[in-house]
Amino acid sequence: MIRDCTIIKELPQGGQKIVHLAEHSKVGKVVIKEGTIKSFTSLERIKREVELLSELESDFYPKQHHFNIDVKTKKFEIVEDYIEGKVLREVMTEFKTTKEIFTLFNSLIKGLSVIWDKNIVHRDLKPENIIIRPNGMPCIIDLGIARFLDLESLTKTISPMGPCTPIYAAPEQLANNKNLIDPRTDFFSLGIIVLELYLGVHPYDPACVGNQFSIVENIMQNKYVVETDTKKRDGVIVELANKTLQTQPYERFRNYKMLNAFIAKQI
Amino acid sequence: MKVYHQTGFRYKWNIESFLNGVGNGLIYSPINIDADKLLALDVKLKHSGFLDPQLYLLYEAKGTLDTYPYFPGNIKPDFATPDLDNSHIQLAQLCVDYQVQNNFEYLIIPSRYYTDNPTTFFSQSTDYFVTPFCDYIRNKNIQKKILLSVIVKTIMLSDEEKRNEVLNWITGHQNIEGVYLILENNFTSKQIKDFDYLLNALKFIKVLKDNQMEVHLGYSNTEALLYSIAMPDSVTIGSYENLRSFGIKRFQDMEKSQMRAPNARLYSSYLLQWVDYEYIQAMKKLMPDYANYFDDSEYRPLMFTPEFKWHFAKSEPYKHYFYVFDRQIKSLPSTQEGRIEELKCKIKNALTLFKKIENEVLLDENSDGSHLPTWFNVINAFQKELTK
Repeated sequence: MIRDCTIIKELPQGGQKIVHLAEHSKVGKVVIKEGTIKSFTSLERIKREVELLSELESDFYPKQHHFNIDVKTKKFEIVEDYIEGKVLREVMTEFKTTKEIFTLFNSLIKGLSVIWDKNIVHRDLKPENIIIRPNGMPCIIDLGIARFLDLESLTKTISPMGPCTPIYAAPEQLANNKNLIDPRTDFFSLGIIVLELYLGVHPYDPACVGNQFSIVENIMQNKYVVETDTKKRDGVIVELANKTLQTQPYERFRNYKMLNAFIAKQI
Repeated sequence: MKVYHQTGFRYKWNIESFLNGVGNGLIYSPINIDADKLLALDVKLKHSGFLDPQLYLLYEAKGTLDTYPYFPGNIKPDFATPDLDNSHIQLAQLCVDYQVQNNFEYLIIPSRYYTDNPTTFFSQSTDYFVTPFCDYIRNKNIQKKILLSVIVKTIMLSDEEKRNEVLNWITGHQNIEGVYLILENNFTSKQIKDFDYLLNALKFIKVLKDNQMEVHLGYSNTEALLYSIAMPDSVTIGSYENLRSFGIKRFQDMEKSQMRAPNARLYSSYLLQWVDYEYIQAMKKLMPDYANYFDDSEYRPLMFTPEFKWHFAKSEPYKHYFYVFDRQIKSLPSTQEGRIEELKCKIKNALTLFKKIENEVLLDENSDGSHLPTWFNVINAFQKELTK
């Protein structure tokens, strides 16, 4: 399939992958990802991500068109839909009101419920992994470190930290407490994103919390802010933070149905 | 809040009582009723109730447990723990099928029992029980609510790390509606008088309710009244003490061990206490109004006749308790705040009554309401927690 593509430009790299924007004669704009398989674990992760994306029929995820591994060179190539739109990081300030934030949040929950229902946890939710399409709907990308709860864990037990982007990770990821990974882990990351959208700053930022610790240390100590000098607290946002940003998963929403019920009350 | 009969030895008393309008249903005990006999019971005795699969000890075939198709010894002779690796799916299927055949209200996922849980306890419970049970129920498209059996050990209430572990485990299962919660009781006194234990038990139940889970409290004694303020969905009534307090001995073959016959006791909803019949006899002699300290029921006239021979194996005191306690639980206010205030009031009244009794009759620590000050303090502490 790659032979039928015309490279348009190189895109910012994702992990160990080289990423190109290209045009395919039939499919249109696509993203080509190429890279080297470093280990059995990385191969397994890529395979799982590819298999999942190819079976997902949802606008909340990019469509997968092609996947190939060259056993001799240990190279892999993936071709998937190019998602028109902007990464949430670039458009965070456009979500000004609580209603706008909750509308986006509601869509994200809808999208994520597709994988949660399959017993899969994204584990890497952050503004960089959410693309806002021109129609305002989010597309969730990069399932590279998703945890498939029905399959064997690929994370080494002795690792001090589990796979994650630390400043958006739940405490159980940071502590590599593998047994505690479930959809509530994603709820934690979503809680951070919502609060960041509302405040305009990361809620665990030491400059806001008023201490000398790092964001990660503040996550581990459950120290975050729900208001800043320029942004007053909002009761609903505080309630959401209370039910997503708790250290113990049992203190968060138990499932996305509870989360949905909470959101439905707000929008 | 519902009240289930925790059945066991002489389960017929419970059935008779249930047919007489007492309680909302029955929890069946495989060690006490043959599998075929249970299958043959009238559906109306089963559609509001459930089976406690009693796989606490995999290898103990106490009583009639081995008549059940899912009993491990029936799946493979000389069944041992490693056999679970190959048999857990079959065990789950047989256990679910049997429960479905009986058309119980809930499907129950069993739990194993260890004196000290191994570090792999929860992951093994997930692999051997929760996952195969839920998978089978989903694949067969069985539309019944699923409850997970959980034995809560004292250390799971007192130790924060253990408590977090068990609560994260229970609430992490997305396909279950609730828990059949059993608080293990290792106390030597007949009533629990440990402030921390009782408060932690209330907090534990509250966490599960905050997670919108159904909580069905098994093996409850009169503490069910206290636990009611954490708003569980049901509590139980049981006849003998081993049905009102969970201990693993009940599931072990103790043929050679000596059993001591307990003194007969009578429950009073005014005193919030079971009272040893010997004190009732003393009260009869010394207090003309002694009968006013005990509830009325169809069994009371007989029990209070001079000819009545008090004995722990007689049905009347238990049937009286089923009736009185069921009524007492059902009369509790539906709101948490209302229950708290009412219970505090009942405790104060009971303490006043005990003062009157002890002007004439001295009672021992298992009949004197000495658990009530602890209950009162626990309620106050829990009330404070709620306002945090």
